[in-house]
Amino acid sequence: MEKTINLTVNGETRSIAVDVNQTLLEVLREDLGLTGTKKGCNQGECGACTVLMDGKPVSSCLVLAVKADGKTVMTIEGVAKDGSLHPIQETFNQKGAIQCGFCTPGMILTTKNLLDKNPNPSLGEIKEAISGNICRCTGYVQIIEAITSLAKEKNARGGV
Amino acid sequence: MTDYKVVGKGLPRIDGPAKAMGKAIYTVDVNLPGMLYGKILRSPYPHARILNIDTTAAEQLPGVKFIMTGKDVGDVRYAFVDTPRYPADEHPLAIDKVCYIGDEVAAVAAVSETVAEKALSLIKVEYEILPGVFTVEEAMKPDAPLIHEELLEGTSAWEDWGVAQKKQQREAEINVNNMSGHSAISFGDVEQGFKDSDYVREDKFELKATAHCQMEPHAAVASYDPVEDKLHMWLSTQGIFLKRFLLSKTFKMPIGKIRIHHTFVGGAFGGKIDLFPYEFCAAYMSMKLGQPVKIELEREEVFMATRQRHPMVIKVKTGIKKDGTILAQDIKVIADNGGYRGSGPIVVFLCHGFSFPIYNVPNYRYEGFSIYTNSGIRGPQRGHGAPQIRFSIDSHLDLIARDLGMDSVDIMLKNIRHQGDLLPNGDRLNSCGLKECLEGAAKSIDWENKRMQFKAQPQEGRYKTGVGISLCAMFSGAMYYPFASAAIVKMHDDGTATLFTGAQDIGQGSYTTLSQVLAEELGIGLEDVHLVAGDTELCPIDIGSFLSGTALVTGSAVKLAAADAKRQLLECAVEVLGVDDIGELETQDKRIFVKDDPEKSISFTQAIQTSVFKKGGNPIIGTGSYKGYSETDRYPSLAKCKGLFTGAYGFAAHAAEVEVDILTGKVKLLKAVTYHDCGFSLNKTIVEGQVHGCVSMGAGQAISEEIVLEKGQLFNASFLNYQIPISLETPESVDQLVATYEPTGPFGAKEVGEGALAGILGAIGNAVHDAIGVRVYSLPITPEKVLRALKN
Repeated sequence: MEKTINLTVNGETRSIAVDVNQTLLEVLREDLGLTGTKKGCNQGECGACTVLMDGKPVSSCLVLAVKADGKTVMTIEGVAKDGSLHPIQETFNQKGAIQCGFCTPGMILTTKNLLDKNPNPSLGEIKEAISGNICRCTGYVQIIEAITSLAKEKNARGGV
Repeated sequence: MTDYKVVGKGLPRIDGPAKAMGKAIYTVDVNLPGMLYGKILRSPYPHARILNIDTTAAEQLPGVKFIMTGKDVGDVRYAFVDTPRYPADEHPLAIDKVCYIGDEVAAVAAVSETVAEKALSLIKVEYEILPGVFTVEEAMKPDAPLIHEELLEGTSAWEDWGVAQKKQQREAEINVNNMSGHSAISFGDVEQGFKDSDYVREDKFELKATAHCQMEPHAAVASYDPVEDKLHMWLSTQGIFLKRFLLSKTFKMPIGKIRIHHTFVGGAFGGKIDLFPYEFCAAYMSMKLGQPVKIELEREEVFMATRQRHPMVIKVKTGIKKDGTILAQDIKVIADNGGYRGSGPIVVFLCHGFSFPIYNVPNYRYEGFSIYTNSGIRGPQRGHGAPQIRFSIDSHLDLIARDLGMDSVDIMLKNIRHQGDLLPNGDRLNSCGLKECLEGAAKSIDWENKRMQFKAQPQEGRYKTGVGISLCAMFSGAMYYPFASAAIVKMHDDGTATLFTGAQDIGQGSYTTLSQVLAEELGIGLEDVHLVAGDTELCPIDIGSFLSGTALVTGSAVKLAAADAKRQLLECAVEVLGVDDIGELETQDKRIFVKDDPEKSISFTQAIQTSVFKKGGNPIIGTGSYKGYSETDRYPSLAKCKGLFTGAYGFAAHAAEVEVDILTGKVKLLKAVTYHDCGFSLNKTIVEGQVHGCVSMGAGQAISEEIVLEKGQLFNASFLNYQIPISLETPESVDQLVATYEPTGPFGAKEVGEGALAGILGAIGNAVHDAIGVRVYSLPITPEKVLRALKN
């Protein structure tokens, strides 16, 4: 059974016919071609498919597409502006927070949500915020360093 | 040596922006016009005979395009190990028997994954259940059911390479049931060594199977083009040339008719090098249908039916003098390789290979068996044998130190190998910073002050802390197909260069480090390097990103290719700049200078123009190649542990500080210290990333990670139940490079990405003992085991 939903993805409002059992992840990847959102487990356990829905991080593999009707979604493709990296993306790369890169889109969106809400997170708050995003490559050390340095920068500049 | 412009710096990785923006295309992201979706039907039984497969109902399901079973494929065999002694034992699809839960029985291609999945449920398979064996002890018994009773032909895929030179008889004298591999070697006189020792101790250790947990699930896309008779594949793999070779052998297709295209790889850790049935089936069905077929495994399938680390039982017996000198050591390893051979014979060879480079033991005996059981297949995993053997030996030495009231670091220091040492197989340690690693790690963890072993007062309260230390070594590549890496450096008119390399960046950063090597050697910036990689058609052969060969083997090939291009540029400049010899010239920033008179210079662009006009149109293309091990043409004997193993060993010392909650038994890693000798750090940020990743994976496997099996059934095939470290468990992490210089490596570099995992397990095990005063002999050190150890 199909249903038409209205979805604003990365600033663009789309009207999409979806199967009622399709997940937001499937619609993003397969119908909209936004393959930057990754499927790591399809069970809501790894965080690779994290997107921001109405500003909040969600595992898009656990969200039925019909539930996203009328919502605003930001995927990794919407983070960079005018082709230049967002400071989070830039810092992740500078600090070695990216290895295989498969967890990176979800990790960056989770980080964005953290820093948007809390520009000055403690080490504990940083670790807590990304605890739903699994990374097997980095051991999290350089990811935590990247977020810490972003928080410092953000404070120095008075917000991004 | 410190005057480098590009190498040695912590430059950001060149593939970082694409990955950060979600633009990097992985195999799971490949989407071709008209693509079909495949699914695999797997055995629900650990050991059973297939009596009949009925696909009629599934074939009638609308949207189903193809169904294949073992009967379609016939007796096609392949395997990671394929030698006359150990001929290939895997089939793409089971013919008449299944050997583990997850064994492939049939494959379907359909218009969608949903339809393919529905079709699987309509395939009726009739099984006759056979008795299974689930532990190595059961499997080795004389009356145990045989998992592979068929006598395989003694032929090998490698014979036309001249490597496997003659058929060898199976070792008749070793009468062990379900044996899949055997390695044995000794030197000196072990029994006499024990007799001459002041103290002899024997211990038994056990390690469970663990999962790689690459974030990108295994996937393949195959697209056969009938017009050009060519099979195009996109694979999530660590070695495109080995995969192409194995595909060519299994399909009996000329190797040039198969092309593997580039994709980014979302983690591998050893688990994406074997040829897998899903890859074969995608290719087979695409060839039958003339349409692209994609098969992406579910996370549960990745856990169950790709590869795992070998569970092992390891016995170590050591004879030692009062002053701490090791006189004799006897090591016995039994590895469980699951339903098929996997890398069984390799891992029992490597347990020796990663044991003997650390301590100089004059009387030494090693024997390893790999054994079939009806469990998932075990293959290479980061360190491949090193974590198991290093944990066992260094736990054992720590126990001896405690028995003798000695400091384990003193015992280690007394026995470790040094630069210049010649190993018993003939490998020479041209670089070895083991002593500096050990001393540095001990100092950094505050060994003298924090060690509880010699403290008079026991710790008060619920939380006990302790420290531990362990060492490790790892090869930097070896002789295995394709035995070498080559590289091409193509110059452009603007003085920039394109690197063509068959190496795979599996996250370890090789695209960046290899580009740095090129840039440094040629005299251009990292931003001046363009990259074409990971494509069997466009790129020269590469040894592949496994057994840690990329930095040394491919790195050397790239350096030689860059040097070749540079020589050609300089030869053009000689005349223009009016010097006698290219030795009078140097390059920097895409220009060629006269060393003694830097005012005199020409740009690379001018040199290339000169070459085109005066040297028969030569636009300047540099080539270079390097063997897996420059000293030998043979791969080592797995069975006899003879022959040369590797050109260079990477070393590391790990120290751990843990906190144990004696109420709950939970172990927490507070601090992890790694002092490592990778020769020279080509990229500081990337090397640190490798070390942190190794430590995290090793710590997980020491404390929480375990594939839980009950009669072959996997109980925790998900990230919720298989507990890999999350951000909250990140310890304070110290990593320090002990710079040596490896003469055979590019700019002195060698292995870093695997060995740095192996020492942390023993360090944690020893730290737990230091904290609670009792030993846990098996990994992972779960709360139950801690509480049990405390109770006893």
